[in-house]
Amino acid sequence: MNDAAIMDVPQRSAEDRFRAEIADWMRAHLSGRFAELRHRGGPGDEEAFPELRKEWERELAAGGWTCVGWPREHGGRGLSITQQVIFHEEYARAGGPGRMGHIGEGLIGPALIRFGSAAQQKRFLPEIVAGAEFWAQGYSEPNAGSDLANVQTRCTQQPDGRWQVQGQKIWTSLAQESDWIFVLARSEPGSKGNKGLSFLLLPLRQPGISIWPIRQLGGGAEFNEVFFDGALADNEHMVGAPGEGWKVAMGLLEAERGVSTLGQQMHFSHELERIVRVAKQNGRERDAQIRQRIAHAWIGLRVMRYNALRMLAGDATSLGREALIYKYYWSNWHRDLGKLAMDVLGAEGDVRSDEPDIRALQQLFFFSRADTIYAGTNEIQLNLIAERGLGMPREPRGDSPMTTNNKP
Amino acid sequence: MDFTFDGQQIAFRDAVRKFLMVEAAPEMLRETWETESGRSHELRGKLADQGITAMSVPEAFDGIGLGDLDWVLVQQELGYYAIPDSLSDTAYLAVHLFNHMPADVALKREWLPKIAAGSVRIALGHPINPFVSDAQLADLLLLWHDNEIHALKPAQAELIRHPSIDQSRRLYEVKWTPSRQTYICPARNGRDLGNAIVDRATLAIAAQLLGLAQRMLDLGIDHAAQRKQFGKPIGSFQAVKHQLADVAVKIEFAKPVVFRAAHALEQNKPGASVMASHAKLAAGEAARVAARNSLQAHGAMGYTWEADLQMFMKRAWAIDAAWGDQTFHKRRVADAIFADGAALGPGVTFT
Repeated sequence: MNDAAIMDVPQRSAEDRFRAEIADWMRAHLSGRFAELRHRGGPGDEEAFPELRKEWERELAAGGWTCVGWPREHGGRGLSITQQVIFHEEYARAGGPGRMGHIGEGLIGPALIRFGSAAQQKRFLPEIVAGAEFWAQGYSEPNAGSDLANVQTRCTQQPDGRWQVQGQKIWTSLAQESDWIFVLARSEPGSKGNKGLSFLLLPLRQPGISIWPIRQLGGGAEFNEVFFDGALADNEHMVGAPGEGWKVAMGLLEAERGVSTLGQQMHFSHELERIVRVAKQNGRERDAQIRQRIAHAWIGLRVMRYNALRMLAGDATSLGREALIYKYYWSNWHRDLGKLAMDVLGAEGDVRSDEPDIRALQQLFFFSRADTIYAGTNEIQLNLIAERGLGMPREPRGDSPMTTNNKP
Repeated sequence: MDFTFDGQQIAFRDAVRKFLMVEAAPEMLRETWETESGRSHELRGKLADQGITAMSVPEAFDGIGLGDLDWVLVQQELGYYAIPDSLSDTAYLAVHLFNHMPADVALKREWLPKIAAGSVRIALGHPINPFVSDAQLADLLLLWHDNEIHALKPAQAELIRHPSIDQSRRLYEVKWTPSRQTYICPARNGRDLGNAIVDRATLAIAAQLLGLAQRMLDLGIDHAAQRKQFGKPIGSFQAVKHQLADVAVKIEFAKPVVFRAAHALEQNKPGASVMASHAKLAAGEAARVAARNSLQAHGAMGYTWEADLQMFMKRAWAIDAAWGDQTFHKRRVADAIFADGAALGPGVTFT
């Protein structure tokens, strides 16, 4: 199936030319020493080639292909949403590696553009655009997962104006490979829930920070625990005013559910293609049950694709409710795809293998077990859809101050 | 049929459960699985003291002489405590094979008392599995070749280890050459015995999957009771508790299917193979849903090496594909339904 042909329908030749430009660039540059990065990195494979992937970020930067959705005045390429989707699709279609810079480009960068001071923008944005500095996200804590507002990490202002941070973050992707971390911490002692929180930027390599990998069930370790024991942040590296951290943190999450996730469909498409290839090789394609499930997976992928195109046709300037639903849809679809991959492998899937198809499908299976958990669990997504999307009454949330905010 | 077990069967099951609760705690399993062999001679010895290795061995060979129905309850416990393949392969499957092999009393006299005593391990290489579990540590390999059965010492074969995604398993590719010296059973009997072994292995895994499902459910319930978010145990939220309730439903409805299969195999009933396949399909579904929903209830912890859930999930995922995967067993059920003269309709539905 030719994906470009579908984009064709309403005479979009300029977009086709743009698509071709990206494809050509990827072909020319994702080669030579970068060739081994094809289809590597990304969720479940974040440990692959970290240094080379950082160099690849600089290669992208040199071509002007980092931060393509950022406004030009902040160093971005100023692409429309449609163009951004095309970029992400073509990037994935070419087998572009998982982006080491995605937290900077997709999360903290847009948050700084929206909430940061001119000085912060000047200090941090160019480094992100250049692929020179990499970021980690310090939100979740052992007791603040779905209930993010229960953050207990504290920050205290020192006489010299700097902020001292004490506490622990967890599930921090790529912390061991990053230069900076943004942290949601409690700046008002005794405050509860989403009040009294502040948003700080800290260099990760400093004496007060230690990073411990968390081993995953598949054996790898791409998440970390990050401990803060007297770590320091400059006063001018607080985003927003003290106590306004929650607003910044939530604004940033809107970006997490943004455009780049749509490009993932192309990645999914590669995975499905691989599953079909393996099924043909090992004869599973002849099994009616497997055939039906593969067809069902293909249908789900088309649904996501058409929904993306529908959103874009609506000339969307922001992706709200659709993006809310999208996380729930893709994560469940992808979790099923992982199981399908293992069932296509059959008993062979039980054995660790260096054979690229088998290794990739096992990785897909293992990491897709986490899809319905990270970046907002299924349960949280459904609550969001019901409460924000449908306007239904909020679930009773115990004695957390989040509920008391709801009282009239 | 009567679905109740007698007092002796229940008492034996309870004794095994109590024993494994102490002797096969997750931290002990982890320690054993980290070793090269992945097996503990000490634990095997203690299991023998409990009488588990002697269960199927006839009294004439120092055993207890029990059958499939006694085993089905014990297999659930072996699943719950993630006891690796070697025990069931040796004490249940290999013993069944010896018991039903034509004559060769010398072979039985040599191996059955040792199995009962818990001093040997036997590995089975049936063509339905691409790999042989625990071949390296086995004292004897029983292998099929064109329906003939052959017996080899591991030293007579080339063994290539294939690391499993499930740490509890030790899988080997076995390269060997059949000869007059290795031959122990003609093809005529070997085929039927092979089918009987597939049926019993299917039943054993079905029962183990039930146990694994129950373990994963229990771990999910524990976590949901302890883990607090929004100031409450997450188990109080319907979104979480309903998922665990769904698992309980799957398990309870799979149990009678597994018991029915055990009864049919013990009684040599026609259609027992299809019932065994049905049992594995039902128990496999329970285990898959248990893994999925318990992992979801665990949140990100469920994805870590540290949480015990991963040990039981990975074992469930792995053995669900052993001794015939879903596709194989669904086809056996479908073939039975579509067979000419298949017993369908109200006259036969409730037998």
